[in-house]
Amino acid sequence: MKKKSVENIISLSNNLRWQIGDDFHDHLAEGIYADASEIVNNAVQTDNQKKQFRLDSKIDKIVTSKIWGFPIMFLILGLILWITIIGANYPSSILANLFLENIHPALKSFASNIGMPWWLDGFLIDGVYMAVAWVIAVMLPPMAIFFPLFTLLEDFGYLPRVAFNLDYLFKKSGAHGKQALTMSMGFGCNAAGVVATRIIDSPRERLIAIITNNFSLCNGRWPTQILIATIFIGAVVPSSLSGLASVSAVIGIAILGIFFMFFSSWALSKTVLKGEVSTFNLELPPYRPPRFWKTVYTSLIDRTLIVLWRAIIFAAPAGAAIWLISNINIGDQSIAAWIINSLDGFGFLLGLNGVILLAYIVAIPANEIVIPTILMLTVLVTGIAGGDGAGVMFELDSANETANILKAGGWTLLTAVNVMLFSLLHNPCSTTIYTIYKETKSVKWTLLASILPLIMGFIVTFLVAQIWRIII
Amino acid sequence: MDIKGNSDCAGCPQFNAKGLKKLGVNTENFDFVVALAGNPNTGKSTVFNALTGLHQHTGNWPGKTVIRAEGAFEYNDQKYKLVDLPGTYSLLSTSEDEEVARNFILFGKPDVTVIIVDASRLERNLNLVIQILEITDKAVLCLNLMDEAKRNHIKIDERTLARDLGIPVVPTSARFNEGIPELIKTIDEVANGKIICKPHRIKNVPNNIQKAVLKLSAEIKKQFPTIPNSRWIAFRLLEGDTRIINALRTGELTQK
Amino acid sequence: MNSYSPTYALLIFFILSILIFLLFRPKRGWYWVIKNNLKINEKTVTEDVLKYLYHNEISGNEVNIISLTAVLKFSDRLVVDVVKKMTIKELIKFDGNVLSLTEAGRDYALRIVRVHRLWEKYLAEKTGYDKVEWHDRAELMEHRLSHKETDLLATQLGNPLYDPHGDPIPTNQGEIANLKGAALSSLAVNSVGRITHIEDKPDIIYKQIYAENIHIGSQIRVIENNQKRVVFYAEGEDFVLAPIVAANITVDILEKDVIEEENKSRLSSLKINELANIAGISKEIRGESRRRLLDLGFVKGSPIKIDLKSPLGNPKAYLIKGTSIALRNDQASKILIKKI
Repeated sequence: MKKKSVENIISLSNNLRWQIGDDFHDHLAEGIYADASEIVNNAVQTDNQKKQFRLDSKIDKIVTSKIWGFPIMFLILGLILWITIIGANYPSSILANLFLENIHPALKSFASNIGMPWWLDGFLIDGVYMAVAWVIAVMLPPMAIFFPLFTLLEDFGYLPRVAFNLDYLFKKSGAHGKQALTMSMGFGCNAAGVVATRIIDSPRERLIAIITNNFSLCNGRWPTQILIATIFIGAVVPSSLSGLASVSAVIGIAILGIFFMFFSSWALSKTVLKGEVSTFNLELPPYRPPRFWKTVYTSLIDRTLIVLWRAIIFAAPAGAAIWLISNINIGDQSIAAWIINSLDGFGFLLGLNGVILLAYIVAIPANEIVIPTILMLTVLVTGIAGGDGAGVMFELDSANETANILKAGGWTLLTAVNVMLFSLLHNPCSTTIYTIYKETKSVKWTLLASILPLIMGFIVTFLVAQIWRIII
Repeated sequence: MDIKGNSDCAGCPQFNAKGLKKLGVNTENFDFVVALAGNPNTGKSTVFNALTGLHQHTGNWPGKTVIRAEGAFEYNDQKYKLVDLPGTYSLLSTSEDEEVARNFILFGKPDVTVIIVDASRLERNLNLVIQILEITDKAVLCLNLMDEAKRNHIKIDERTLARDLGIPVVPTSARFNEGIPELIKTIDEVANGKIICKPHRIKNVPNNIQKAVLKLSAEIKKQFPTIPNSRWIAFRLLEGDTRIINALRTGELTQK
Repeated sequence: MNSYSPTYALLIFFILSILIFLLFRPKRGWYWVIKNNLKINEKTVTEDVLKYLYHNEISGNEVNIISLTAVLKFSDRLVVDVVKKMTIKELIKFDGNVLSLTEAGRDYALRIVRVHRLWEKYLAEKTGYDKVEWHDRAELMEHRLSHKETDLLATQLGNPLYDPHGDPIPTNQGEIANLKGAALSSLAVNSVGRITHIEDKPDIIYKQIYAENIHIGSQIRVIENNQKRVVFYAEGEDFVLAPIVAANITVDILEKDVIEEENKSRLSSLKINELANIAGISKEIRGESRRRLLDLGFVKGSPIKIDLKSPLGNPKAYLIKGTSIALRNDQASKILIKKI
C-alpha cells in the first residue's frame, strides 16, 4: 500500500515537471539568490568608500600580469624544486648512513648472536629491512621539505593564480589549469599528486590529471636520473662541461615528461575520456597569511607521513621478494638469474637488459630501490667482486665504482640514455597505483594509468635503440 | 592550534568555556551528532579543529575535504560527535562532494547542522544556507571570518540576520579562537531544544513553480505525515533527482 | 640474436603500427567497420527507411526507391529486400513510384525519432560529448533502446519537449509539437526573431555554424539578405553567413510586444572597468556546467565586472557576488549581460 502511494507521488511529480518545463532549476537558483539578496540588504552594510584599497588586488595585478606573471611563477616553483633536491641531499645521506651503515650491521650481528638461521636473518634484515630503510632514507627528506613549502604556497592562496595563468595552455590539451598544480605536486610524489587532483572538480579533467600525473618525474626518480646522467652523459663531453651536460640531461628528461603529459592529456580527452562530463570554473580566493608552524605540522602529518607509510607497506614485501629471488635456486641458477636470462632478449630490443627490466619489475613498489637493485643483480649475474651478497641491495659512495660495475654489466651510453627514458616512462609505483584506485574507484582507469606510460616507455626506448644502432 | 598551544592556553578565557573538553577523534558513545557544512574557503576546517582540538589540513582551495572528517567534544557532560562535510557551493548539483554533504544532512539526520559562512561574502554563502534550511530546521549559522569582514568595512546586523533566517547566528573568527565558546553554547542550546528554529523558506520562485511545489508537498505530507522536509523533497522530485526517488521507493526517507 | 638487425626491427615495428592504426583508428578503423556491419540487420534498415520517409514527409519531398537506395548507406539489394517486407507488413505503401508511410509506419517512425532526440538530449545534459558527436551517437542508439528503456530515459530527463538542437521530441503517445519559424535565409531585412533550431545535418555545415558561436535561443535581427550573404545582428555582434548555411538555422519571428530591447551583449565582450548585470545564461550551456554557474551566482540581475585577465587573455576572472571566479572565454560568450 505504501508502495502505491510512493508511485502516486512520483507520477504526480513527473506530470508537474512536464507542466513547469525545462527552466525549473534556473528559476529555483534565481529564487534562492533573490532571497539571499533581500536578506543581505536587510542585514549587511558595506562602506564602499573605504573598500577601494585592497592589498589582494595589488598582488593579483602583479602575479597575473603579462610581463611578471610567468617569470614569478617559474621562479617560485623552480626555487621550491631546487631547495628540495639540494636540501634533501644532506639529511638523506645522514639517514642512509644511519640505517645502512650503522643499524644494518648492528642488526646482523644481533641476529647472529641470538643464533638466527641465515635464511631468516637474510629474509628479514637483508630483504625487508633493507628495502624499507632505503625507501625512508631516500623518500622522507625531499618530501619533508617539498610538501610543507608547497602547502605554504597553497595556504597563502598563490596556487589558484598559477592555475589561472596556465589554464590556457592546459585547455589546449583538453585539461584543467589546476592540473599545473597536481603536476607540480607530482614532482614531489606521484601518489600525493594523484590525491591533490581532488581540487579539480570537473570529472573528465580530474581523470586526465590522475592518469597523466606519472609523467611528472617524482622524487624517487630524480636520484636515478642524476646518477646515470653524471656517470654516462657527463663523460661524453669535456670534463669542464660535464656538470652542465648532466644537469641539462636531467632537466631535459623532466621537460620531456611535461611534453608527454600534454600529449597524453590531449589524446585522452579526444578518445577514451571524451564522454566524461567537463565543466570549468576556478575561484580565486582571497590571500590569507598562512600560519607557518601549523601548516608545516599538518602538511607533514597529512601528506608526508601518509605517503611514506603507504610506501613502506609496499616496500617491505618488495625487499622480501628481491632477497628471495636472488637466494632461491632452481637447478644451477637463482630465480633472478633465470628471469634475467629470459628477459635479456626483450631488454636488448629496448636498448636495456634483463637486469634492468627485472629491477623495474621487483621495484614496482618504490622507484627509490631501482638503482640498488640493479647494482645487486648486476653483481649477482656477472659474478664480479663487490656488493654485500646475494639479495642485499647496495649503493656505492663513488660514482666511479658504480660506473665500473655497470660497465661490467654491459652498459653503454645507449643503455644509460634508455634507462633515463624508461625511468620517466614506465608504470607508476604501486603506492601510486593503489592511490589511483582509491581516488577513481575504477579498475579500468587504474589499469589505463598503469599501462599507458609503460607502453610509451617500450615504444620510445625501442625506437631510440634501433635508430641509435643504425646511426652509430 | 596544536596540542601544546592548547595546554599553554589553558588560562585564556576562551578556553575556559564551562565544561568544554576536546575529545579529538574519540567519537564513541556520543549524545548528539553535529554536522559542519559550508562553502569552500570559509574556514570550516579551522572551526572543526577549534572545536575538536584536531589538526585537519585543508588548503586555501575549493573542494579540498572530500572525505568527511569526524571528531568530538564534550560540553556540560554531553558528548557531541562532529562531522566535517565537504565544502560545497550548493546542494543542487550532482558532484560527488555535494552528494556526500547532502546525503549526510538528509539521511544522517544530524541533531544540529552548523553552517559556516564567510562574513565578507555573505550573499554567495546564503545560497547554501537557504538550501540547507529547507532540509533541516535545527541549524546554527556561524558567521566566520569576522576579522576579514571588519577589514573590508562590512557591518553585519546579526539580530536582523537571525530573524530573517530563523536560526541563531554566532559571529566568530575561528583563526583567533574568537566566538568559539559562544558557538558551542548555541550548539548545545539547539541540540537540547532550548532554542527552537523557525527556518527561512524559499520565497522568490515564480507562481507556477510555487503551485507545483505546494501540490506535490501536500501529497507527500498526506502520504507520509512524519516527513519534516516535504517541501524540499518536492523540489528535488521536480528536478528529477533519481537518488531521492530511489530513497522514497526504498523507504529510506520515511523511516525515523 | 643472429638474425637481428635494427633496420628490420624498425620495419616490423612500423608495419605493425600501421596495421593497428588501420584496424583501430576512430570510426573508420576496419575493426569498427566490421563490428558495425555485423550489427546491421533488417531492423536497422527498416528503421532508417522509416525515418528517411518521415523526414521527407515533413519537408514535402517525394521519395522513390531510387532516391532511397541512393541515400541509405546499405547495399541496394538489402534495401529493396527490406522495402518489400515492409510493404507486406503495411509499414509503407507504394503510390505508383512514390513511397509513403502508412499510419502504422508513421507511428513507428515517430518512436525512432523520439529515441534519437531523447538520446541527444541525454548526451547534452548528462555527458561531456561534444555537440558534433551527438547526432552520430544517437544514430546508433536509436536502434537499440526498447520502449521501456526509452520511457525511463524520458522520465529521468523530465520528459523534455525539445532536443538540444531545438527539434521537438515526440511523446510516447506519438504526439509531436510543430516546429515554428522559417529558415533564416528566407527572412526579410529588419525582421526580428529568435533562433529555435539549428539543423545538425549535414555535418560540414553544422560544424561551421558551431564554429561561428551562434546559439539557440538568441534574439536576432536581419541586417542584410541577398544571394551572396546573410548578415544578422545578435547579442552585440554581427554574424555573416553564406545563404546555404543560413538555410539550416530556423528562426521564429517575434511579435512586436515580445521583442526585447537590443541592449544585451555577451559577457565575453565586457571590458575592464565596465560594469554590467547578468541577463541570463544561454541555452547552450547545459547540464552540470549550467548548474555550477547558477550556484556561483551567475543569475539574472547579478552585478558583474572583470576582476583580472590572465597573462594569455583567457581565462578571465569576474567579480560576482563578492567573489572572483575565472571563466574561459567560450563560456563567457554564452552568458548574456546588460552593460550599465
